[in-house]
Amino acid sequence: MSRPLILAWREVRSYLQDKGDLAFTLLLPIAIFALMYFAFGGETLFHGTAYIVNQDPGGQYSTLLLDRLEKLNNLDVSLISDSEAESKLQKATLQMVTYIPPEFSTDLARGVTTHMVFRQRGNGGQEGQIVASIIRSKAQEISQEAGLKKTVKTASGSTQAQADTITQRFLDNEAISPLITIKEVPIGAAPNPVNQFLSGIITMFVLFATSISSQALIEERRNKTLERLLTTRLTAGELFFGKFLANTARAFLQSLILLLLAAIVFRLFTPISFLEVSVVALVFSAAAGALGLLIGSASKSTAQASTISALVTMSMTMLGGTFFTIAAGSTLYLLSRFSLNTYANDAFRAIVSRGQNLAGVSQELALIVGATIVALLLSRLLFRVAGEGK
Amino acid sequence: MAEAFLTITDLHKSFNSYKAVNGVSFSIDKGEIFGLLGPNGAGKTTTIRILSTILPPDRGDFTIGSYSGRSNPGAVRRLIGICPQELALYEDLSPIDNLVFFGRMVGLNGKEARSQAITNLELMGLADRAKGRVEKFSGGMKRRVNLAIALMGHPQLIFLDEPTVGIDPQSRNNIHETIRELRKKGMTVLYTTHYMEEANQLCDRVAIMDGGQIIAMDTPLNLRKQVGSPDTVTLEDVFLKMTGRSLRD
Repeated sequence: MSRPLILAWREVRSYLQDKGDLAFTLLLPIAIFALMYFAFGGETLFHGTAYIVNQDPGGQYSTLLLDRLEKLNNLDVSLISDSEAESKLQKATLQMVTYIPPEFSTDLARGVTTHMVFRQRGNGGQEGQIVASIIRSKAQEISQEAGLKKTVKTASGSTQAQADTITQRFLDNEAISPLITIKEVPIGAAPNPVNQFLSGIITMFVLFATSISSQALIEERRNKTLERLLTTRLTAGELFFGKFLANTARAFLQSLILLLLAAIVFRLFTPISFLEVSVVALVFSAAAGALGLLIGSASKSTAQASTISALVTMSMTMLGGTFFTIAAGSTLYLLSRFSLNTYANDAFRAIVSRGQNLAGVSQELALIVGATIVALLLSRLLFRVAGEGK
Repeated sequence: MAEAFLTITDLHKSFNSYKAVNGVSFSIDKGEIFGLLGPNGAGKTTTIRILSTILPPDRGDFTIGSYSGRSNPGAVRRLIGICPQELALYEDLSPIDNLVFFGRMVGLNGKEARSQAITNLELMGLADRAKGRVEKFSGGMKRRVNLAIALMGHPQLIFLDEPTVGIDPQSRNNIHETIRELRKKGMTVLYTTHYMEEANQLCDRVAIMDGGQIIAMDTPLNLRKQVGSPDTVTLEDVFLKMTGRSLRD
């Protein structure tokens, strides 16, 4: 084993034995991951609540509408009073409430147009819009059924009971063998909140590792082992390469744990896509390792290195689209191009959500590798200026 | 005439306007224990840092073996071992892991490094504590580990920068005996200390340094003779006479 590898192995071993470092870099991401799991409940389909004021209680069609809504797996129905709805809408506790009008069933039975009301704050919010769309489709379904019964009765000249039987038979057949079927063809993993946030969390924690990486060099200097190492056969180049390997290994280990958890809990990856995201994680870990070395070379104390690392990490995380999407063309978008997280997040999402392969993210990877090389060269240059090299 | 193993010629080093080393020249013979004495800020540690190839000199040169420190620092590093004034070891590792690690850094393979580490720990009286964590050791034990590291790779010249500072008499005695053992094996030693009695007993020759310059250099006996009767004058008397009694930083 060459000297840089021995140096890197010593650091990684010390890191694995340090409970504080381990807690910060491994347990914290796992804790965040657990929060994600509970937040999304291990499933990522939409689930919402329809708040309904039923002004037609006991009516044939209002009861039918509520039954059908309650049978939906992704929707809970909450019946509330008019005054409660008014109060909660005013306080913005609710964004959207559906009103079933008093003559709903009577009007439908007579074939007269009836008006349901969606009262909402602004656009009703994302959940409100989805709930409204579901209620609208169920109401239209009932409306069409009521219209069909009326048409059958008129056309056949039968009694209402006979018309209802004929119509119900048709609807039952339609339910068993519908004329239109929909087939879902997933490409890659479905875009969902886990996909959205997972890459951001991984890249954020990999960048957090720069703090430990930047301090490793300063600690070595403070402990006087740096000078001692530089009086052995270890060259400054080998020292840098060893430190770089150690930094990369630490960050990669961290991201690998998160990826493994994601693979097990959320079943996000195929074996191939897991390997591909691991390659992206490795490349980004190398960039974080180089960044740590650069900060370590430029800093004179551990406090200075921590502060610079925190600033760099937070700016890159915010600008990298970790928590929100940055619209193209904005000033923020321009700034985001300077954040390595942007390219790492893009690469992760392209593989996880859009089913692309490594070739499809080669541009992002090339940019990250380029930044890594620049950071390594700069850090070596700064180290020499500090008079420690040989 | 003995063969000079280390030769320093007109060495200079300044930090901004402060002249830390100002025209130092001397040589050390092979197998000699040479003491470099001086008050705080005299330039002893800077001289050792230059000889260790950590700091480049502003002017002058030195040779170790036949290699120039300026033009062939890599070859120089293969001949030297350093025991710095401050502890330079990994406290989260055991003594044996520290020694094996630095052994690998000086070019030993795994088996050689382990074998030398065990020998050196035995020499320093630490064989039974080889696997404990250094952070739990006493100051004296840490100092002995610090010295044991410097012996990895069998260096021909060893720089010992105040290796006995702040330790108990037993540990100090162990270090002294180790140094005498090393001399018997032909190792050359450059030793700095503030303990004059220690220098008097250990060193074949001593140089007294002040203000970045060598102000006296001879055997301890001859230096004592320069000041008075060697039976009554101590090396500390010589030192105080030559460097003055005013307090230093």
